[in-house]
Amino acid sequence: MKVIANLAICQGHARCAQICPQVFGTDAELGRVIVRLERIPSAIEEQTRLAVRNCPEGALRLASKDPGSSS
Amino acid sequence: MSTPKLKTIPPHVPPHLVLDFDLFEVSPDLHDPFDKWQSLADAGAPPIFWSPHNGGHWIFLKYEDVRAAYRDHETFSNRHQSIPKTQGWPLLQPNGVDPPDNSKFRNLLLPLFTPAAVAAMQAEIRRRTRLLIDAFATRGQCDFVAEFSGKLPTGLFIQLMGMDETRLTEFIALADVFMRVEDPAAKAQNVRDIYGVLDEFFRHKGQHPGNDIASVLLRARDTPSSSVTHQEVIDCTFLLFVAGLDTVTSTMNCIWRYLATVPAARTEIAACLEQPDKLNRALEELFRYYAVSNIYRRVNRDTVYKGVQLKTDDMVVLPDNLANRDPAVFDDPQEVDLTRKVNPHLTFGLGVHRCLGSHLAKLEVSTALQEWLPRIPDFRIDTDIPVKIFAGPVMGYRSLPLKWDARA
Repeated sequence: MKVIANLAICQGHARCAQICPQVFGTDAELGRVIVRLERIPSAIEEQTRLAVRNCPEGALRLASKDPGSSS
Repeated sequence: MSTPKLKTIPPHVPPHLVLDFDLFEVSPDLHDPFDKWQSLADAGAPPIFWSPHNGGHWIFLKYEDVRAAYRDHETFSNRHQSIPKTQGWPLLQPNGVDPPDNSKFRNLLLPLFTPAAVAAMQAEIRRRTRLLIDAFATRGQCDFVAEFSGKLPTGLFIQLMGMDETRLTEFIALADVFMRVEDPAAKAQNVRDIYGVLDEFFRHKGQHPGNDIASVLLRARDTPSSSVTHQEVIDCTFLLFVAGLDTVTSTMNCIWRYLATVPAARTEIAACLEQPDKLNRALEELFRYYAVSNIYRRVNRDTVYKGVQLKTDDMVVLPDNLANRDPAVFDDPQEVDLTRKVNPHLTFGLGVHRCLGSHLAKLEVSTALQEWLPRIPDFRIDTDIPVKIFAGPVMGYRSLPLKWDARA
C-alpha cells in the first residue's frame, strides 16, 4: 500500500501527521504534508487509513498497487 | 412597544426558501447557543435557506455544502464579507483577500504557525496558564472567562508579537471591550483604539527588532521593492489580535462548561493528559462538537448552486457547528465521543483560508487542560450566577462561573 498526497489541495491541517506521525509530517515553510514512507508497512496500514479519512480537505488517497503493476 | 424587524427578501429568493431565523437573536429561554442551530436541523429546515434579517443572507446547513463553499473561493469570496453589510471596515490581511492576493501575508505567516513552530511556544503557554490558575486555585471559585479563557489568548498575542509584558493589562482591557461591546459606535472606537496602539507599537518595534512576528512583518515591509505597506502590516496584526481572541475564548468556555457538567469526561481526559494520541483524539472531538464560528462568505458571481439561484454580493453563512453534527458524515453526531476515530470536522475551515492559527489554538487548549485538570480535577457550574449568552459570527458565553472544593 502507498499513499498519495495532493499538495494542491493540502492546506496544512496536519491531522494526518497527528494521527500517524510514522507516515506523515509537515514541511517547515507552508506546513503542508510530507509523506515519509514510500511503502506503508502493514503494521501501520490501519493508522494510515485513519489519517487519510480524517483529512478534511480530501488531499490524501491510498493506492494499493504501484501504477503499471500487472498483478 | 417593539418595532417589527426589517426583513430583506430580494426578488431572486423564492418564498419557500425564506425562514424566520435571526443569526444574532438570543431568546430568553436559550441556555446553549448551539441549540439555536440544532433546532433548525430538527425542524427540517431547507438545507439552503434565506434569512431575511440583518440585511438578508443565505445559510448553508449541510457539511457537503459548507465544505463546497469553503473550497470554491472564486464563487464564495472572503473579500468584503460582513453581516449586516458595513462600509469602511479594513481589509484584513490575509483573511480578507482571496488568492492570489492572500498569499503575500499568508506565506509570511504560515511558517510561524506550523505544528513545529507552535510547539516551541508550549513552555510559554504553560507558564502563562499556571500563572492564571495560581490566582484562583485556592479560592474555590472563579469566573472562567474573566480570569482565564479571556486572558490566555491576549497573553499569547503579546508574546507572539514581541510586545513588552507591561502592555498585557492594556491589551486585556482592549480585548475585553472588543469581545463584550455590541454598540456599533463603541465598537468602532475600540477598533480605532487598537489600531492606534498597534501603529505606535510598530513605530517602536522598527527601532527595536526581535525574534517575533512583528519583526518578520516589518522586515517584509522594509525589503527593497516590497509591496507590503505599513497599513497592511497593521491590518494583519489587527487580524492576529482579534482572530485568536473570542474564538479561542469561546471554545474554551464551551469545553470547560461541558467538563463542569460531565464528570466522566473530566476523568477520561485527566487519564490521557500525557498520551498525545488519546488527548488529540479527545480534543478534536471537543473541537468538532463546539465549533463556535459561523463563517461569512460573499457570493462573487451569479451562480446556481444545487438549484438555488445565488446573486453577486449575496452573503452566505456557513455554520461549522451544524456541518460538524451532520449525520451524513458523522456517526452519532450528537454524542461527544472522546475516542471518535473518523472526525474530518470543519471547525478550522477548509481551503485557502484555513484557520492559520489552528495549531496554536489546539496547543492552547491542550496545555490548559494539562495544567487545569491535575490542579482542579472536580469543578461545577455555580448556577446561582446568571450567565449571558451571545450569538452571531462567534457564539458562546460572556461569563462562566465555576466553583470547586479548594484545597488549602
